[in-house]
Amino acid sequence: MVPLGDRAGGDAPAPGSASIAAYLSLLLQEIAASPPGPPLATVYFGGGTPSLLTPSQLAALLAALSCRFGLAPGAEISLELDPASFDQDRLAGYLQAGVNRVSLGGQSFDDAVLAGLGRRHRGADLLEAAGWLAKALGGGALSSWSLDLIQGLPGQDLGHWRHQLRQAIALAPPHLSVYDLILEPGTVFAQRHDRGQLQLPDADLGADLMELTWAELSAAGYGHYEISNYALPGHASRHNRVYWSGAGWWGFGMGATAAPWGERLARPRTREAYADWLAQPGSPPASAGHACPGMPLDERLLVGLRRREGVSMPTMLAQVGLGPEALAALRGRLEPWIGEGLLRIEGPRWRLSDPAGLALSNGVLRELLAWWQEQQ
Amino acid sequence: MTEAPVSRIRNFCIIAHIDHGKSTLADRLLQDTGTVAVRDMQEQFLDNMELERERGITIKLQAARMEYIAADGENYILNLIDTPGHVDFSYEVSRSLQACEGALLVVDASQGVEAQTLANVYLALENNLEIIPVLNKIDLPGADADRIAEEIEAIIGLDCSNAIHCSAKTGLGVPEILQAVVDRVPPPPDKVSEPLRALIFDSYYDPYRGVIVYFRVISGSLSKRDKVLLMASQKSYELDEVGVMAPDQRQVDSLHAGEVGYLSASIKAVADARVGDTITLVSNPAAEPLPGYTEAKPMVFCGLFPTDADQYPDLREALDKLQLSDAALKYEPETSSAMGFGFRCGFLGLLHMEIVQERLEREYNLDLIVTAPSVIYQVNMLDNTIMMVDNPATLPDPQKRESIEEPYVKLEIYTPNIYNGALMELCQERRGEFIDMKYITTDRVTLHYEMPLAEVVTDFFDQMKSRTKGYASMEYSLIGYRKNELVRLDVLINGEKADPLTTIVHRDKAYNVGKGLVEKLKELIPRQQFKIPIQASIGSRIIASESISAMRKDVLAKCYGGDISRKKKLLQKQAKGKKRMKAMGKVDVPQEAFMAVLKLNQ
Repeated sequence: MVPLGDRAGGDAPAPGSASIAAYLSLLLQEIAASPPGPPLATVYFGGGTPSLLTPSQLAALLAALSCRFGLAPGAEISLELDPASFDQDRLAGYLQAGVNRVSLGGQSFDDAVLAGLGRRHRGADLLEAAGWLAKALGGGALSSWSLDLIQGLPGQDLGHWRHQLRQAIALAPPHLSVYDLILEPGTVFAQRHDRGQLQLPDADLGADLMELTWAELSAAGYGHYEISNYALPGHASRHNRVYWSGAGWWGFGMGATAAPWGERLARPRTREAYADWLAQPGSPPASAGHACPGMPLDERLLVGLRRREGVSMPTMLAQVGLGPEALAALRGRLEPWIGEGLLRIEGPRWRLSDPAGLALSNGVLRELLAWWQEQQ
Repeated sequence: MTEAPVSRIRNFCIIAHIDHGKSTLADRLLQDTGTVAVRDMQEQFLDNMELERERGITIKLQAARMEYIAADGENYILNLIDTPGHVDFSYEVSRSLQACEGALLVVDASQGVEAQTLANVYLALENNLEIIPVLNKIDLPGADADRIAEEIEAIIGLDCSNAIHCSAKTGLGVPEILQAVVDRVPPPPDKVSEPLRALIFDSYYDPYRGVIVYFRVISGSLSKRDKVLLMASQKSYELDEVGVMAPDQRQVDSLHAGEVGYLSASIKAVADARVGDTITLVSNPAAEPLPGYTEAKPMVFCGLFPTDADQYPDLREALDKLQLSDAALKYEPETSSAMGFGFRCGFLGLLHMEIVQERLEREYNLDLIVTAPSVIYQVNMLDNTIMMVDNPATLPDPQKRESIEEPYVKLEIYTPNIYNGALMELCQERRGEFIDMKYITTDRVTLHYEMPLAEVVTDFFDQMKSRTKGYASMEYSLIGYRKNELVRLDVLINGEKADPLTTIVHRDKAYNVGKGLVEKLKELIPRQQFKIPIQASIGSRIIASESISAMRKDVLAKCYGGDISRKKKLLQKQAKGKKRMKAMGKVDVPQEAFMAVLKLNQ
């Protein structure tokens, strides 16, 4: 939502600079011009470097959202922050402005890894920032916080990863997101990988690392509530749940994607194109009505089966007019996974077993997507 | 247009190694004689099948008629007949050479004689063709005409004192070539007054006119009002069209001895007008057909199955259509418990098999599984009956057989003698029996072996080429059946017998083949969510085994809001890839795994 800075270095504008103020006015313009909708249950400031916003700018954004849509009572208001991009005072300012959940982009405690990833912060910054968050949580100013970690890094072995996990657990974040390294085209890692200079873990080590994550975090009391997300009881991200439940959401800002009424709408990715887009008559497009779960069935299955509780398959099929016959056909098709105990059917509920089934979810999803394509 | 006296006709072909410039030279000849205007020139006019261009080989023959005013001021008719360049099609080459009196031997002046050309040169010499050496690419910096001329003299024993220096690319030497064809290639014998005998050297299927037959009139004449008899197929036809290739088809009233042309007569399939057949007149038939005709005999068999069972009727239709233009293709329905419905198909050789497979996939949009190639075995049963088996999976149990015989070929390899050792080793590995070795020149030899056909039709040709840097060439012909200690080698995937992977091998090689096969399959079959044992067995005895460990991780790390449809597309694409695999029991097996037996040496 606030894609201002550049994590890989370069000339990020200073917080509160004129460039940011200009972008903010575009953003406020878009929010004000959006069709009205129901009150927001969650708000997430992320994508890019939201810490470039001053607390008062963030407060202005929240005010605009509240004015346009209203905020539901007890709404979850999350902010993405990278270590070393804020200090304790700034954090206090954000909390004062209304933020009640922070997602900390820690990634790793290992300085060499952070340098390799092109991050500005180092392990010490992460520890310091986590300390402030823990304190805010303890003092009641913050309802929850989350730590991001990356697994499957080049050269990573089980010992290194176990050490990372244990340092994370020691910080006691109520929520942890653990992602595999993804080689995005154009990044330094992707280039080194193309040149054959990157020793990524092989299939077996990758699986071992994933299992270790599950074992360590489970033992520490974290629930594996979604493929890449773990939380202490009561701390699962409500915002993520909106995505995964197939409910509608708004997205604002350049490059953002919104799906408030089923149709997904992606905005231009550069500042200039975004400004031009906003200047066009009819942007943003008028809503056909309130936010509603208009996501196609296959996408709802794709996200639904990523969650520990899975989906109620008969209900989902019924929503698209399919009955017991389709259910039986689907069951037959997925028999290999059911037979291996990877896909569990418990009454109406279909869910992938944890962790083995979740770790192999793509196989089930491919079959489901192919099945749905054949239905069309 | 066909007033040409026999004495002013010249029929010739071009013999050349793949990239020594045959097609470029042919194009240049068409241009210089004004047969094709420069602006109409399609790159490489003679090779007009898409597949041929991509592979840089000529599969089907083509011909072109050119008119040329020679130094004596007279107008000559020059017929250029193209030849295919692969051992699978040696019969077709021999027929097109029989239609010529001369040949241009085109050699790259920087590279020298390549062995592949040799077999065709020898065939041309056997057919008493006048050979004109042409040193091509003379404009290249590395060209060394004198050295290459010496080499040709040494290897082939051909006088190169008047070899023509040429650059097909720039046009240098092309007029000299045309004049040399007139001066040095003898005119056809004048047999106009004899009964009609015309040799079919090529044919293809045209969906609107039926089969178009290319032929050379050897004796007599043919007019468009004639009724013709094909002497081998014993079918007679009223002619629709007679014409010449200039190079587009142009109708004429009649053609006489010495000329090259085409005819159409509503012939339904190329199998009715086979290469090598003799055309004569119903009203005045020749006493004897021309010599040398043989039936197309499939040597290699395999199963063709659609990956998607729903495509079976489409596959049938595609094969029916393909057979109209490919007389050598044979097929019959085959059912396998593992593979479902498909066809057992017979081919001239591996290249022919690959070409048919590619055409089916490309021109008819089919996804196919091709099973391991096999030859025809003769099984002598205990009850004194004989069974011919072209599908290893149907080989009767050992308790019922007395013995198995396999087809043998006489194999001749032409090679520079420095590769003798490597080739003899290869032949030894392939159960070859050494017969003799003859020096053609001081450093060129012919190796003569007798070898099981099954060993030749797998990857022998590729192995021979790779062990001799491409310098060796080969020919083979069937010499009969011999008893051998053969066994059926089965493959079990996840405990279930995989029929399409069954092969028949010599007992002494069974262990190595079995071991190689399971290792290769382990490489080629992707991991699945359970462990997959892969075993090779003879009867109930397991002789080799491997296992593919279970896949434990196949997951998208991250999936939020705007990313969902991108992730969906990724998974859908993967699902499509999976559809191209064949489910053998619970295991998805990719296409290339069925060819594993051909890849054991890679």
